[in-house]
Amino acid sequence: MLRTALRNLLAHPARQLMTVLAVCLGVAFVSGALVFADSTAAAHRAAATKSYADIAVTVTAKQPPGRPADRRSVLDDALVRKLAAVPGVASVRPSVDGSAALNAADGTPLRVKPGANPATAYIPGKDGKDARYPLAEGRAPADAGELALDTGTAAVGHLHLGDPITLATDGPVLTKRLVGLVTTDDTRVTTGGTLTLFDRATAQKLFAEPGTYTGIDLTATPGTDETTLADRVTQVLPADRAEATTGTAQAEQQAVLVSTLTRGYAKLPLVFAGVSLFIGSFLIVNTFTMLVARRGRESALLRAIGATRRQVSRSILLEALAVGLVASAAGFLLGLGLAAALPTLLTTGGSSLPAGPLVIGARSVLAALAVGVGVTVLAAWLPARRAAKVAPVEAMRTAARPPATGRPRLRALTGTVLLAAGVGLLLSLAGAEDASEENLRTAMAGCALLVAALIVLAPLLAVPVLRLTGRLTGRFGITGRLAQENALRDPRRTAATAATLMISTALVAGLAVIGHSTTETLDRQAASGLGADYVIGSRTFSHGLDDATVERVTATPGVDHTTAVSDTTFFLDGGVRTIAGVDPGTVDRTLKLGLVSGSLEHLGPGRIALSRSTAHENGLTTGDRVRARIGRQQDPAPYTVVAVFEDNPLAQDVLGARGEVAQHSFLPGSVQRILVGTDGHTVSRATEDRLRIAVGHSPLVTVQDREAFIEEAAGVLADLLKVVYGMLALGTVIGALGIINTLAMSVAERTREIGALRAIGMDRTAVRRMIRLEAVTVAGFGTLLGLAGGLFGAWRIGALANGAMDRYTFSLPWGTLLLLSLLSLTTGALAATLPARRAASLNPLEAVTEN
Amino acid sequence: MTVAPVASSTAPGIAATTDLTKVHGSGDTEVVALDRVSITFREGEFTAIMGPSGCGKSTLMHCAAGLDAPTSGSVRIGTTELSTLGDRSLTQLRRDRIGFIFQAFNLLPTLTALENITLPLSIAGRRPDQEWLDRVVAMVGLTGRLGHRPAQLSGGQQQRVAVARALASQPEIIFGDEPTGNLDSRAGAEVLGFLRDSVRELGRTVVMVTHDPVAAGYADRVVFLADGRLVDEMTRPTPDRVLDLMKTLDPRAA
Repeated sequence: MLRTALRNLLAHPARQLMTVLAVCLGVAFVSGALVFADSTAAAHRAAATKSYADIAVTVTAKQPPGRPADRRSVLDDALVRKLAAVPGVASVRPSVDGSAALNAADGTPLRVKPGANPATAYIPGKDGKDARYPLAEGRAPADAGELALDTGTAAVGHLHLGDPITLATDGPVLTKRLVGLVTTDDTRVTTGGTLTLFDRATAQKLFAEPGTYTGIDLTATPGTDETTLADRVTQVLPADRAEATTGTAQAEQQAVLVSTLTRGYAKLPLVFAGVSLFIGSFLIVNTFTMLVARRGRESALLRAIGATRRQVSRSILLEALAVGLVASAAGFLLGLGLAAALPTLLTTGGSSLPAGPLVIGARSVLAALAVGVGVTVLAAWLPARRAAKVAPVEAMRTAARPPATGRPRLRALTGTVLLAAGVGLLLSLAGAEDASEENLRTAMAGCALLVAALIVLAPLLAVPVLRLTGRLTGRFGITGRLAQENALRDPRRTAATAATLMISTALVAGLAVIGHSTTETLDRQAASGLGADYVIGSRTFSHGLDDATVERVTATPGVDHTTAVSDTTFFLDGGVRTIAGVDPGTVDRTLKLGLVSGSLEHLGPGRIALSRSTAHENGLTTGDRVRARIGRQQDPAPYTVVAVFEDNPLAQDVLGARGEVAQHSFLPGSVQRILVGTDGHTVSRATEDRLRIAVGHSPLVTVQDREAFIEEAAGVLADLLKVVYGMLALGTVIGALGIINTLAMSVAERTREIGALRAIGMDRTAVRRMIRLEAVTVAGFGTLLGLAGGLFGAWRIGALANGAMDRYTFSLPWGTLLLLSLLSLTTGALAATLPARRAASLNPLEAVTEN
Repeated sequence: MTVAPVASSTAPGIAATTDLTKVHGSGDTEVVALDRVSITFREGEFTAIMGPSGCGKSTLMHCAAGLDAPTSGSVRIGTTELSTLGDRSLTQLRRDRIGFIFQAFNLLPTLTALENITLPLSIAGRRPDQEWLDRVVAMVGLTGRLGHRPAQLSGGQQQRVAVARALASQPEIIFGDEPTGNLDSRAGAEVLGFLRDSVRELGRTVVMVTHDPVAAGYADRVVFLADGRLVDEMTRPTPDRVLDLMKTLDPRAA
């Protein structure tokens, strides 16, 4: 039987093409994701190890117990000299590390992101050069007025040697001249950050104290063990004030950190791999079912001449095994290509992943094989059983029998039970108040059941739904009518073909609706809460804006009014809240606060306003008096609640008078945000430029107009959109493969019919149109079911958000949904191209004389 | 027994072939299926093409009906020379001016009997002439079964649907390729009766390929083919006369 199986495979390689493609794609995603994850982790580890490669021991300052504030760091030149004398130390390299935000040539912040803007001192060694930062151009910074940057940053920011560079470390804006460009392989910088180098004294002034360092790296003489050296070094260090760590330990720490950071990268491709395999398995089941159907007579013949059922089904399973092996191998190779290409694909907006060789672990190979072969054989199992059931007498029949209808009652029952369970679970969310893990799990289970129900019910739904869509295709005359009837001929096959598109449509539609509703809600929240035209904010938590800046902004031409906001903590009844100190005079214009009770006019020292939910949770209302602490306040003070306002993300939990809040703030006197109202609510480039001048072009300060601010507030969902589009692309490709597959089979089965149509006068264009309409009908069916399932799921899951998000409403992204539907139908039409061409090229004569 | 001279009539007729030659394959495997066949099919006449297996009778019909392209020679339907037509015009010609009846019925299983009958008209986007349609349907006796699908009909009924389909668009000429080949003798006799009626009562022109002398007995004229050549012709045939002539042409057939 093995020979029969292989003969079959070799005799009709084209028949298996779609199966191979489907398995291949799934395996490619799985192995690509795994290889990519392994390679990235290895590259990160290599980069981390490299940066500590020649460092044997690092000495850092240690937080001494008790109150640290006024004690000078022990990492000074004296310690450097002392460490140089430790036996086994080859060289000593002190460093002064901090961060610096830069402006590009046009005065806008350049790649300013948390953790991506390291700044340090250029400390020349014995040869007058700092080995860590090779100079590419110019020279090293020599005094307080100079700096050097990495070449990448300079190129992106259009900065050239000799240019004045404006920057801020953690305070006022500084201007220094660019005198040198260096290269670096620091991953923080190469992945889209900036590197700034100062001379030693400047860096010490900015990041430490004059004459001290933030760390000291030691290299060891050959033959000296890291741990031994660390022990020796520890002995010369002042106890409790500094500690020594080996380079290996540091590299390990870094690698662990990095691998936690990159775990997310590996997850996304794996999700895609899972989805593509799930959808792909329908394609595989379909192909095998059709192959078995076409081979019905052959199987019957085998049975008639004495093959047992088991032999028949085994020959099909063997065929599946062979296909699975070939496809997995091909898919694995494709996956390697994918893994090689992924870093480039994920590199957007200038950030890049570290480069490194592909790491092919045993895990990836095994997973690819298990997945590819396993899915194929499992998918072939049902059709194989069906093939074995073919009665030997079938071999004697001449005409092909219409496909068995299966057991519609059982199907209807199973489907209805699944549907009821899924809908029930989703409806049970109605009472849910929040997106707790338990509720989310219920939602997921409900959605899974819903999809399963749709898959089971699809063949039964095909008849009524296609009759309905037939009214549309009927407009194309007889070709449309024939297309509809052909799609209806084998509802099970039509349903299985449409299943791929159905699942991807459901996923995409659901995600799109949830994303859209959330964005809309966030937009509405931000828009409805904000009255100001510009929001000026600080990028660092440690350093806010100052009063002088507020005054300059207020005095800027075109500015009508401003509200400076100082945020700090508010301790109330043992709970921690955030209080926003505002100017009672302008706050009603810059923030749109819906008042529940009271009036903001009475806001002042000792008089606060609470958000509705804070008031509710603490059982307070206007007129009540409470004892609470603001920021650094040592003892609780009495406060009167003068107003309760609707929850507003911009107004925090509590509003107070700015003078009082700023005074007790952990950063006394600092301002976190300035809300700006312009004359006539003008928003223009000129206004923004003037505001930038007012904040001294500090790269640490953001100036956003209303729209940009709202966009940023809602911007969290950008990643979700990427996932949506990825799913869409994947579903479309696999759906198209399924349609090509089914139509090719269908055309092959209907050679005679199409020939007869050609003979009695249907021209090639009409034949092509007929096949294309059939594809569109199938695609439309999948889309309709998918939309129904996706929208229902999204609507119910949205109910969860209602508790978590204020004023969440279900809103439909009409544009996206329309695009999705059009894309599905177009996919159908395009997928039909090849089968349609084949059908149209059938010679009527061959068709009618074929026996 | 009147054996007429080999037909090479140049009378106008509704369809005609002139020096029609069809060669299959090339070189060593070359087979001459038709060798300079000239024949005219006259309007309002029921012609049967007969001959032993492999004599080229099916090829002749396929070429005459625009389903197959001849190697050389000409085929004419009305005043249209088929060799000058492209695929699209040929398709339109088959749709509007020719009716077909196949051995294997070739009905579309997804359409009802009525939809199958009007299929050529639907393809052309024309409305059926209701009066004509009623007449055709009544003649083939399908009035009560128009809503049935082919699978719900017997072989004879299916072929009657096919006859009605061939007649529905009032074509100039109807070609039948062994129309009774898949039917038992009674159903076959019915179908042949309808074909004769459509010539006698509806004034159609029918050309039928058959190897069955009984079937040929329904025709007005029988032409005989052997080895790709037109060898004989008989008017007002009877099954016995046809059988006798067949025996002389191909002794094995007896």
